[in-house]
Amino acid sequence: MPTEFVVRADGLLKRFGKRTALDHLDLHVPQGQLYGLAGPNGAGKTTLIRTLCGLLRPNKGEAHLLGWQMPSTRVRSQLGYMPQDFAVYNDLSVIQNLEFFGELYSLRRRQVRERANELLDLVQLSDRRRDRVGSLSGGMRRRVSLAVSLLHKPRLAFLDEPTAGVDPKLRRSFWDYFNQLADQEVTLVVTTHLVEEALRCHVVGFLMAGRMLTQGTPEEILEQTQTTNLDDAFIKLQEQGQVRP
Amino acid sequence: MTSFAVARNVLRRIFRDIRTLALIAILPLFFVLLYGNSFSGSYTDLRILVVNEDNGLASVRTSEVGRITLTVDLAAAFVEALDRELFNVVVVEDAEQALASVGNGTWAALVFPRSFSNAVVNEAVRASGERKVAFEERTVTLLPSDPVDGPKTTLALDDSNPLIAGATLAGLENAFARVLETQQSSITVHGLLDIRPLYDGAIKTLDFTAPGIIGFAMTLITIMLTAMAVVRERTGGTLTRILIAPVSAWQVTLGYTLAFSLIAIFQAAELFLATIWIFDVRFVGDPGIAALVIILFAVGLQGIATLISTLSKNETQAMQFVLFLLIPSIMLSGVFQPLEAMPSAVRPLANAIPLTYANSALRKIMLTGEGFGALHLELSVLGAIALVTLLLSVLSMRRQAYTA
Repeated sequence: MPTEFVVRADGLLKRFGKRTALDHLDLHVPQGQLYGLAGPNGAGKTTLIRTLCGLLRPNKGEAHLLGWQMPSTRVRSQLGYMPQDFAVYNDLSVIQNLEFFGELYSLRRRQVRERANELLDLVQLSDRRRDRVGSLSGGMRRRVSLAVSLLHKPRLAFLDEPTAGVDPKLRRSFWDYFNQLADQEVTLVVTTHLVEEALRCHVVGFLMAGRMLTQGTPEEILEQTQTTNLDDAFIKLQEQGQVRP
Repeated sequence: MTSFAVARNVLRRIFRDIRTLALIAILPLFFVLLYGNSFSGSYTDLRILVVNEDNGLASVRTSEVGRITLTVDLAAAFVEALDRELFNVVVVEDAEQALASVGNGTWAALVFPRSFSNAVVNEAVRASGERKVAFEERTVTLLPSDPVDGPKTTLALDDSNPLIAGATLAGLENAFARVLETQQSSITVHGLLDIRPLYDGAIKTLDFTAPGIIGFAMTLITIMLTAMAVVRERTGGTLTRILIAPVSAWQVTLGYTLAFSLIAIFQAAELFLATIWIFDVRFVGDPGIAALVIILFAVGLQGIATLISTLSKNETQAMQFVLFLLIPSIMLSGVFQPLEAMPSAVRPLANAIPLTYANSALRKIMLTGEGFGALHLELSVLGAIALVTLLLSVLSMRRQAYTA
């Protein structure tokens, strides 16, 4: 049952024992939006993404991706997921990782080659394509992970901290690329604990203790909090304990 | 002291992990209990066939009344003297059929000839000299006569399992000794028996233990390799990536099964060739059937390993589960101690271990060259284990997607 929102979560509640990781959380992301999910460590960003992707079952509430209630196998071919850990094979080369995951998405060899060239250029690892991933630095491995996640041209991608450990120049090119993808009607939900990075998003959601403190365009949030940068806005929201109704 | 700090840190980390702590406390006890239980039993229920053609009469010379005929029924006395806990005695009529039935669970067939009683009594008198017996309300002296040259008692013995063959022979000798005691003679059973080992004593202890050791090596390597690989895949996050792609848990499980089956088959081939070429271990059966056993066994082992990986948070925990599986496998599967010698309390556990069936099947193939006809039970159970564990693996793979 298609809906106007590519990502729609209503009243998501997720508990781990006594700890509430997601507290009746709503999220609505339309097609082609670059949605930034910001918040401190342990705010619930990863839990939210994993719940949306169907990797965790919520205690309450529903999640729909691309119109299908999760967990659903129907959205898998159109879904990109970059977990926070590297989640690539250290004992394989960069290109072997891409080839393997390409096969899982039924990509032809030629398609994999073309996409690999494009993505390895983006993540600046073209010259390391034959190197074992285990021999790369942490930041480089994260870049391989990003390339794997976007290999099959997903319509919707969840990227969990894609820029962590990446140098500022490359980080900027990543955000440019994410914006390009959004221009091509790809929907992206990107988490970051670097609040200022969220300025590059169309809409930003501030998450804390499993609750959405606020969400809106960066400009709206700055205006709402009467601050000049998102770091200050976030600190102010935290202090006020302000929760958007 | 830095060393104390390191030691304290190691201990503190162990004490934080309940499963490791439990392993440290329970594993030694588990090991000893299994060892004690599997090796403390005595053989029971060994099936033997007895054909009693003895007419029960002994014709003996006496100094008083010439030749007399005594009714002694020694074969019947022998059957009576058999230890009924040790043996499951089945009395049958057809001697030829009984002798041909030995093997595949029937450990011996004993055929007493028509003149058994006659031969024993005369042999006893000849060996021990004159002796007096009561005959028709008087005492007569039995005189030695020429050796009786009649047919001996035939004992067909399944020597495919040297340990059971030894226990069978010892049990039969014991019963014979008790009967011969009644004849007040020092004659031994060996002079009366025509022993026909089914395999002419060609099966050595090395041959007998090799199939189980091959099976155990496969269990060890396959389970470790599979469980570690799946746990590493999960903890590394790649399993989540795979399971979020448009592939089913079936396809993933089948992929694992294919890969590790190939490895297991390669390892099994290596084990077989090494034992046969280097140690000249007996292999008289069909390698094709052995390969089928190996494949079913390997698939089952991988299923078990995948289930272990589901229960394990990390590689250390997986290793702990593997140990709990491996110890009963080596102790209870009949590799060293035959199931027939285990206490009845542990036999159900032995029957739940895949290696029990792989060992039994490979022994039958390698040592006695038996085919499909004799392997129904083993192939069915190994097939069922493979199928059930494969299905459970698929379910556990789905679960791992949610817990990764």
